[in-house]
Amino acid sequence: MPFNEDITIDVSHIVKDFRIYKDKSHTFKDRVLFRKRNAYELNHVINDISFQCRRGQAIGLIGHNGCGKSTTLKLLNKILYPDSGTITMRGKISSLIELGAGFHQDMTGRENIYINASIFGLRKHEIDERLDKIIRFSELEKFIDSPVRTYSSGMYMRLAFSIAINVDADILLVDEILAVGDANFQAKCFSKLAEIKAKGTTIVIVSHSMDQIKSICDRVLWIDNGKIREDGPASKVCDHYLFAMNKAAEDRRIEEAREEGRKVLENPNHLYPFPKNAEQASNMSDRSGNMQIRFEDVRLEDMNGSLCQQFHYGDMMRLCWKISENPEKKNCFCKFEICTSENRPCTEFDSLKDCDKYFQDDHACYEISIQKLLLGSGSYYLNLILLDEKREVLDKVQHAVEFQVMVTEPLSDGLIPLKAVWDCQEDA
Amino acid sequence: MSIKQDIIEIWNYRDMVFSLARRELRGKYEKSVLGFLWAFLGPLFQILIYGIVFTGIFHNNMPNFYIYLMTGILPWTFFSDSFGQGTGAIVYNAEMVKKIYFPREVLVIAEVTAKFINMLLSFIVMGFFILVSGVGFSLEIIQLPLIVVIEYILVLGMSFIVASVTVYFRDLEYVVHVILMALIWGTPIMYELKGINPFLLKLLYMNPFTTIISIYHDILYYHTPTQARDYLISFFEGLVILILGFQIFRHLKRRFAEEL
Repeated sequence: MPFNEDITIDVSHIVKDFRIYKDKSHTFKDRVLFRKRNAYELNHVINDISFQCRRGQAIGLIGHNGCGKSTTLKLLNKILYPDSGTITMRGKISSLIELGAGFHQDMTGRENIYINASIFGLRKHEIDERLDKIIRFSELEKFIDSPVRTYSSGMYMRLAFSIAINVDADILLVDEILAVGDANFQAKCFSKLAEIKAKGTTIVIVSHSMDQIKSICDRVLWIDNGKIREDGPASKVCDHYLFAMNKAAEDRRIEEAREEGRKVLENPNHLYPFPKNAEQASNMSDRSGNMQIRFEDVRLEDMNGSLCQQFHYGDMMRLCWKISENPEKKNCFCKFEICTSENRPCTEFDSLKDCDKYFQDDHACYEISIQKLLLGSGSYYLNLILLDEKREVLDKVQHAVEFQVMVTEPLSDGLIPLKAVWDCQEDA
Repeated sequence: MSIKQDIIEIWNYRDMVFSLARRELRGKYEKSVLGFLWAFLGPLFQILIYGIVFTGIFHNNMPNFYIYLMTGILPWTFFSDSFGQGTGAIVYNAEMVKKIYFPREVLVIAEVTAKFINMLLSFIVMGFFILVSGVGFSLEIIQLPLIVVIEYILVLGMSFIVASVTVYFRDLEYVVHVILMALIWGTPIMYELKGINPFLLKLLYMNPFTTIISIYHDILYYHTPTQARDYLISFFEGLVILILGFQIFRHLKRRFAEEL
């Protein structure tokens, strides 16, 4: 591979095992007397990960707990060393991993700036240059000459964050810390991150907040069981990750229900319970209408008829529902709306328009099948609306069911995935 | 990383060494009423007690015995504090070591440097006593910086070893205290080397501090010139220990974060 000036982080085939001691003993007596107790098992935390980052790139590391993303960050930060493989980092590294490490409680904020910044490898004259900037950013002008033990935890974190972010590093490593201070200060931190990214700093972020990741990162690595499962544009990988997470949670729920001997079918997949009682139903914040006739149950199913909330692009989706007793045999009809997680309407199904059919039977099961779910990656909600002949709302359930769609085919990003062919050949 | 890169990196972090050393010294005296005075009072009382015991009870009749005592015990305290507390240089900074990167050697260097500055401060008290007692200074005093640097090298090397090994073997902290307790009697601090039988003398010289403390005595108490050989031996002992300690530390530091 040609050497590239722009590559700031080059990780090549790293492997990291942790020793899990069966009964860890540090003392001499134990080591000699109980040799066998020192046996340990190797836990493969990182199993052959390779990637490269360029200047000005912001990379997010996502994955479930214990997948190895924080370990990867610690390896990048040289807190841990890989068992094999190499990591090459070019430039000064700063980390927002542990804020305020090395703060001395009895010393003033100003003195602590010098100590903490020197831990990041700054020389005294460099700290002198940055001192005003750090104090201004932390908004602690009034308190900077008081001992840090008198600070509130928010002030403490603000000072620590200001130091770490003003190091002017070439590489910034961030671990789940953007919960600093109040909303204003957080917004300031985000814009500061964007600013230093624009200046060419490489940022690596570990977070469980997909919103944070999507707003800062261009690229996301999804780490699963110590391997990179997916590497690509932030929004796409985050959506795939969420999809898989929800699917796993759903599977686990069904599994648990099965173990407890409950019938899975009795445990439907709508977002909140559908009370049998009209009064209870009308008191729910997401429901409106006169409740003379109500939805009693809804289920979202896949093509095999099992409960499902995660669909692939082009899958079949079936919605089943029941309505409450209808003593006067009133004619009523249904409307179903699909909207995005930001509440943007996508499409609407109307039983009156589509099939000219009324629903009269009590407790009967009805269903609608969407033959091909051609939606882009992301989360969607279903709104259910029950109307009578005069188009008066009997029951309207907002966000009754949530479902996710994942596009695995090579289609464009966004709400409407399209297939495109690029022709980028230059004319001779 | 190669050794050269390691050393360059530590050099680049030299301001951290001084920040941490200053933090340690200030933290140590900040909250006490007498504050920094304790840096002088501590050794003062130590010498007073030893002086009374050895002249009053053991009837030591060396002239100005407490000056002899002082010129040996202050360099010894630098060593025993650094070596004794050096075991905790990494272990007691676990939170920092586990969370952020910096060359780990800095912690040990800062610890030893803080103790070193402490010793230099206590030398001021010592200088005052030397003048008042009438022992005075001779031209040999120009050699003092040399032996001070040699001792620093040796102490740093030994601290590297105990700081890194303690991470894997916590008992070392207590073992070191026992060693120090024994070693203070294996060093000519409270007695003279004159008149000791040759076999015992050989044994004593196996302790690198015997030569170092003897040089301090030559310069400050006896006012006799020291043989260049003694300096060379001490210097090479110090250098070997430092290189050994640095290498052991380099090797062991890779897994600090996991073992802590």
